[in-house]
Amino acid sequence: MTDEVFGFDEDEELSLLETLDHVLEHGLVIAGEVTIAVADVDLIYLGLNLLLGSVETVNRVLGERERRAELLIGRAGAGGLDEGR
Amino acid sequence: MSLYVYCLSDESDAAAFEGLAGVGGAAVRVLSLGRVAAVVSEFEDESVAVTGENVRAHNRVNSQLLAALTPLPFRFGTRAAASRLAEYVASNEEALVASLARVRGCVEMGVKIRDALEKAKGKRQKAKDESEETAGEDALGGSARGGSGTAFLLAKRREILGDESARLRAEELAAWLASGVAGAARESAVRVNPSDAIVVRAAHLVERARVEEYRGRVRSLSEERRGLQFLTSGPWPPYSFSDIERR
Repeated sequence: MTDEVFGFDEDEELSLLETLDHVLEHGLVIAGEVTIAVADVDLIYLGLNLLLGSVETVNRVLGERERRAELLIGRAGAGGLDEGR
Repeated sequence: MSLYVYCLSDESDAAAFEGLAGVGGAAVRVLSLGRVAAVVSEFEDESVAVTGENVRAHNRVNSQLLAALTPLPFRFGTRAAASRLAEYVASNEEALVASLARVRGCVEMGVKIRDALEKAKGKRQKAKDESEETAGEDALGGSARGGSGTAFLLAKRREILGDESARLRAEELAAWLASGVAGAARESAVRVNPSDAIVVRAAHLVERARVEEYRGRVRSLSEERRGLQFLTSGPWPPYSFSDIERR
């Protein structure tokens, strides 16, 4: 999947977070048959904190990218940030 | 001994998984269950650790099937005894076959929109409010500081109006996205979160033959509004269009 993600395909962290968002939150479920463990703690219910955690990281990664782009634009002395791609 | 379950399909090909390692490095195989077949591997532990390796293995197996066919993926961490899996498939067969027909020939594409302009506007407004409040307090002198109920109410009013404005803005973005991909996406699953930095999260069910057209539409949208940041991903197995319980 990683090599097929477009947009932020260069960012492995974001790619894994996207995968997490998809596989933890969606898909067929057999009642009572999903048991996952995070840091050795078993979770029968897929806790919301997991997803909140990943969203926060997405924001952090995007924010860092935004700052890097602003720095580059500042150095070039011209506008035209291509947001999001 | 239980099975780790990746996905269901009514057109799976056992040869597609030959030599493929699943969760925990176990060999992946196809288990025929009547009109559908399950893609599984042996699994001995009581729970499935959420690690990058396991998450990637789960998605890798589903993506392997997606390369040629259309899987109905299970959620990460699904494991069941063979008899329980067979019972689940038998008791939900009609719904599962209908779901497979629904996603056949399609992939899932994802779009998340982060509203950088709205975020910056919020920050500026907050700084302005704080500055005005301080100035007001200074002008009124120290006696007014303890009882600035008016200032509190004014700030609350601005907060409520700001929330309403953010909600309208997020809904407008979702409608704009829906209209931009209309025709290229067969179905959509959209969540709008005005209070989040990522205000719109959309999953689109797209026919394989229309993926490039869909990408072009999303690219045009991202160029249309420069203040937005788009996080686009795919093709994915149709995770967001597989849950028969929610239908």
